[in-house]
Amino acid sequence: MAIITLNYEYLERLTKTDKDTILKALPMIGSDIERLEEDHADLEFFPDRTDLYSVEGVARAMRGFLGIETGLPEYPVLESEIRFSVDPALAGIRPILGSAVIRNLRFDDASIESVMALQEALHWAIGRGRSKVAIGLHDLSAITPPFHYIASPRDRQFVPLDYTEPMTMDQILADHPKGRAYAGIVEHFDRFPLIVDANDQVLSFPPIINGELTRVTSDTTDILLDVTGTDERAVQNTVAIICSAFAEAGGTIQSVIIDGQKTPSLAPVERIIDCDECARLLGLPLTPESIIPLLEKMRFGAEPLEGSNVLVRVPCFRADIMHDWDIFEDVAIAYGFDRFPATLPPTFTIGTEDPASRLARIVSGIAIGLGYTEVMPFTLTNERVSYQLMQRPRSDAALTVLHPISIENTMVRTDLLPMLLEILQLNTHRELPQRIFAVGDVNDGAITYQKVAGAAIHPSADFSEIYATVDAILRELGVETLTIAESDDPAFLSGRQGAIMNGSEKTGCFGELHPDVIVGFDLEHPVIGFEIDLRPFL
Amino acid sequence: MELTANEKRLLAELGNLGSAEASVLADALSTDAAAVVQWAHLAAGRGLVQVSREVQEEYRLTEEGEAYARDGLPERQVVGSIDGEIPMGELSRHPLAKVAIGWMRKNNWITIDRGIAKKADSTPESPEELALKKIAAGVADPGECGELKSRGLVTVHEEVRWIIEITPDGKKLLEAGIDLRPEVGTLTREQIISGSWRDEALRRYSLATPPRRIYPGKPHPYRQILDEVRTLLLEMGFSEFSGNIVQSVFWNFDALFQPQDHPAREMQDTFYLDLTSPLPDGWEKIRDMHEHGGETSSTGWGGSWDRRKAEGSVLRTHSTALSIQYLAAHPEPPVKGFSLSRVYRRESIDPTHLAEFEQLEGIVMDEYVTFSHLLGFLKEFYHRMGFPDVRFRPAYFPYTEPSVEPEVWVDGLGWVELGGAGIFREEVTSPFGISHPVLAWGLGISRVAMLRLGLKDLRQLYKSDIDWIRNTPSYRRI
Repeated sequence: MAIITLNYEYLERLTKTDKDTILKALPMIGSDIERLEEDHADLEFFPDRTDLYSVEGVARAMRGFLGIETGLPEYPVLESEIRFSVDPALAGIRPILGSAVIRNLRFDDASIESVMALQEALHWAIGRGRSKVAIGLHDLSAITPPFHYIASPRDRQFVPLDYTEPMTMDQILADHPKGRAYAGIVEHFDRFPLIVDANDQVLSFPPIINGELTRVTSDTTDILLDVTGTDERAVQNTVAIICSAFAEAGGTIQSVIIDGQKTPSLAPVERIIDCDECARLLGLPLTPESIIPLLEKMRFGAEPLEGSNVLVRVPCFRADIMHDWDIFEDVAIAYGFDRFPATLPPTFTIGTEDPASRLARIVSGIAIGLGYTEVMPFTLTNERVSYQLMQRPRSDAALTVLHPISIENTMVRTDLLPMLLEILQLNTHRELPQRIFAVGDVNDGAITYQKVAGAAIHPSADFSEIYATVDAILRELGVETLTIAESDDPAFLSGRQGAIMNGSEKTGCFGELHPDVIVGFDLEHPVIGFEIDLRPFL
Repeated sequence: MELTANEKRLLAELGNLGSAEASVLADALSTDAAAVVQWAHLAAGRGLVQVSREVQEEYRLTEEGEAYARDGLPERQVVGSIDGEIPMGELSRHPLAKVAIGWMRKNNWITIDRGIAKKADSTPESPEELALKKIAAGVADPGECGELKSRGLVTVHEEVRWIIEITPDGKKLLEAGIDLRPEVGTLTREQIISGSWRDEALRRYSLATPPRRIYPGKPHPYRQILDEVRTLLLEMGFSEFSGNIVQSVFWNFDALFQPQDHPAREMQDTFYLDLTSPLPDGWEKIRDMHEHGGETSSTGWGGSWDRRKAEGSVLRTHSTALSIQYLAAHPEPPVKGFSLSRVYRRESIDPTHLAEFEQLEGIVMDEYVTFSHLLGFLKEFYHRMGFPDVRFRPAYFPYTEPSVEPEVWVDGLGWVELGGAGIFREEVTSPFGISHPVLAWGLGISRVAMLRLGLKDLRQLYKSDIDWIRNTPSYRRI
C-alpha cells in the first residue's frame, strides 16, 4: 500500500474545507492515518486507488464525499500541434508511449512535492518498479517539438539529472544511482529507449533517468509528460491520473499527436448498471433515485435510464473500475458501512467436521490421557534437524523451497519426531519428566497428510514405557490389522525399537532414541519417542 | 496443638539435652541434620523450640596454596635464586618468573634498571607470606587473606551450624506428656480391612505445606483457541475443509483473479517450489477472465495470461486457495464452509511476523446472500469470539468486491483490525459455474491468540516453553 503525504494548507485550499473534517472522513473511504504532524499527515491508500496518490486526487474525492462538489469532474483536452514519433525498433524493448502537454502551471513547493510523490507512488503501484510503466516530466520551454522516442545505441551521451558532465547510457547504468537501481529492466537489450527533441537534445532515458536539460523547477509553467511502458492500459491509466491531477492543480491539458494519433483521452468510460442488482448484492433498498446521489458523491456521473438501469460515467482516473461490482462497492462506501443493517441470512446448513480433524482431536485426547502435553511446532524445518541429527537418510518425501528465508526453514517437515526433540532441546532447563506430543500436517512430496508423534525425557525413560504407550494408543484407535515388527531405524537404539506395520507397509516407529541423537539435540537424559502415520485410521 | 510425630520425638530428645546442635540431635534421632532442622522449624513455628543459625568461615588452602606453603610463594622461590644481579632475559626463564616478578617488585625485593634486576639487600617476609603461614597453621585472619584469595591459593568455606533449644513453652508441653506412638501415614489394606486403623496414631497432614506440583497432560493453549473457533463455526452450521500445503500457482493466485504481475506473487513474498503442477480442466476460462473479463461485465486485466506461470507451485499463501477449490467442487447452493489451516509467507521472522501461521477462512454461498449478511456473520462470529464491539471499514483485497475490514474493540489497545472479508468477485466465481454471491472472510487466528493469551512474541506458540504451557490455565471465560 502507498503512503501519501498530505500538506494541510494545500489540501484545505484544494478541498475548500478544514483539515479536521477531511481527516475524519478519510478513514470512511478506507484510508488509514499513519501519522499526524504539525503541517501534514501521512495516509495509507489502497493499491487499486492510484487516483488518491496525490493531494489533488484526495481533495477531488473529498469534495465529493463531503458534498462540496459532486458528480463527474471533466477535463477538457485542448488541441496542439505538438508531435511525437515512436521508433518501431522499440517493439521488443519498451514499445508503448503516452504523452500530454500541461500548460499554465504555477508551481509552489507543496504542489511540486505532491506531483513528485505521485510520480514515485505510481512507479510502484502501476509501474511495478518502473518495469511496466515509467513517467517523465519535462520543462517544455527547454526543448523543441517534434519529439522522437527511439531505440538508441548504448554509447549515446547526455547529461543525466543531478549531473554536470555527459555520460553514455552504459555509464549511467553502471555509475548513476538511478541507473544502478533500475539497470535490470533494460541492460539485456542491444539498444536503449531514448527520447530526443527536434534538435536531437536528450529529454530522457526511460525508464532510468531524465536529462538535466528538462529539469522541472518552481519557474516551470509548461510541461511535457512522457509515459513509457510495456502495457497499453497501464500507460494510458497513468497518463490519465497524472493529467487529471495537474488539471486539479490548475493546469490546462493539451493533446500530443503520437504517430498521427491524438492523445490523451480524458473522457469518462460509460457503464450501464442495474440498480436492482446492486440492491440485491448489498442488501440495501436502493432505487435509481437514491443510488444516483450516492454515485455522484463518489465522483461518478450518473443518469437514470429505462427501468432499474442507470448510466454511470466512470472518470478517466478510476483505473480500478473493472466490473459493475466495483461501482457497487463505491455505492456501499458512499452509503456508509456503519449504516448497514448487519443481519444473518436464513440459509440452513448442517456443519460437519473434517474427518482428519476429528481423528486428530481423538488422538490428542488419547495422548493427553497418557500424560502427554501438546506442542504445535513449525511445519517448516531443514534437513539437518529432519535427517542429519536423526541419523536418517534424506527422505524422497522432502520438498525444498527455492528461496528459503533462512537455513532454518528450507523444507516442509516430513516427520514430527525431530520437531519434538527440538522443543525438548529448548526446554532442558525445565523440570523432568517432560512428555510432549504433536498431531499435525506433514508432506509426502506435494501431498499433505497427518501424523502423530510423542517424545518423553526423564531419567528412567525406557523401551518398556514407550512400547506400553504405543500399545495403548493403538488399542484406543481400535484398528486390529496393525502389527509390531522388528525395525532398524538408526534414530533409535538397536534392539530397543519397533516398527508399526500396516500389512507389509511401515506406518510408524517407536523406541529409545539413539544416544548420539540425544546428544545431537543437546539432551542429557534417556529419550523415548514414537511416530504414527494417521492415514490407516481414516 | 497437633504435633507431628517427628516434632514430638525432637521435643522429647531436647527434654534431656535442653539445647543441642542439629547434627547431635540427628544422631540421637537416627536421621540427618537437614531433617532435624526442618522439624525444628515446624516446632519453632509453634513456639516450642528456638532455632539459631551460626556461620563459621574456614580458610582452606587450594592444591597450589598447599604447594607454596611448603616450598614458599613463587616470589620467594625466585628471589632466592637471584644472586646479586641478573639480566631480565635470564630471570624470565625461571618457570615461576611470570607470577613472581610483579610481586618481587611490589615487595621491593628487586629493582629493575635497564633490563637488569638487582636484588635488595634484605627481602623481609611479605604480608602474603605471613597470611599463608597463619592459614597453614590454622589461625587465619580474614583481613589478611584477600590477596591470597584473588591469587587462587585460598578458598573460603562456610560452615553452618544449627543450634536448637527448647523453650519454656516446649518444656511445659513435654511435662504435660505427649503421645510418642509412631504415626501412621499411608493406610495399608490390612489396617483398613481389620479396622486396626482405629488403634493407630494417624498422622495429620498440614495444609500449610504446599503440595508437590504435578502437571497434567493437556492440549496446547493455542489448540484450545483453535478448537473453540472450530466448535463455534460447526455450531453455526459451517462444514470444515482442508487441503495440501503445496498448491499450484493457479489455485493460489490465478483462480483468485490475482494479476500475474501482482507484487504478492514475487519471490520475495512467496515460497516457490521447483515443481510443475498440472492445470485443472477448464483453465481456459481463467485465462479469458484475466485477459478480457470472460463473459462478465469485467474488463479483465488485459495483456496475455501466461499458462506457464500458473503451472508453478507454492506453499499456500492464504487459505483462500482452499476455499476456491471447495467452491469449485460444490458449485450448488447452499454452501457454508470453513478451513483453519497454516499458511506461508516469505517474511523475516520477528516477534510479530512468522513465515507460517494459522488462517481461518469462512465462506457462505447461497441465493440472495448480501453484503449486509456478510456484516451480520462477522458481527456474530466476533461476538462469539468474545469481542462485543465490532465495526466495519472499507478495505481492498484483489479477489473480493465489495471488501470490508472488521475492527474489534480491545481494552487497552483500542480498535484492532482483525482479518478481512468481502464478496468474491464475479471474476473469481463465474469460471467455476458459481452463479450466486460468495461471502468470504479470513482471519489470522494467531493474532487473536496473542490478544487472548497476552503474548508478546508469536514464536511462543510454535517453539513453546513447556513451563508456559504448564502454567497457562486450560479454562478461560469467553
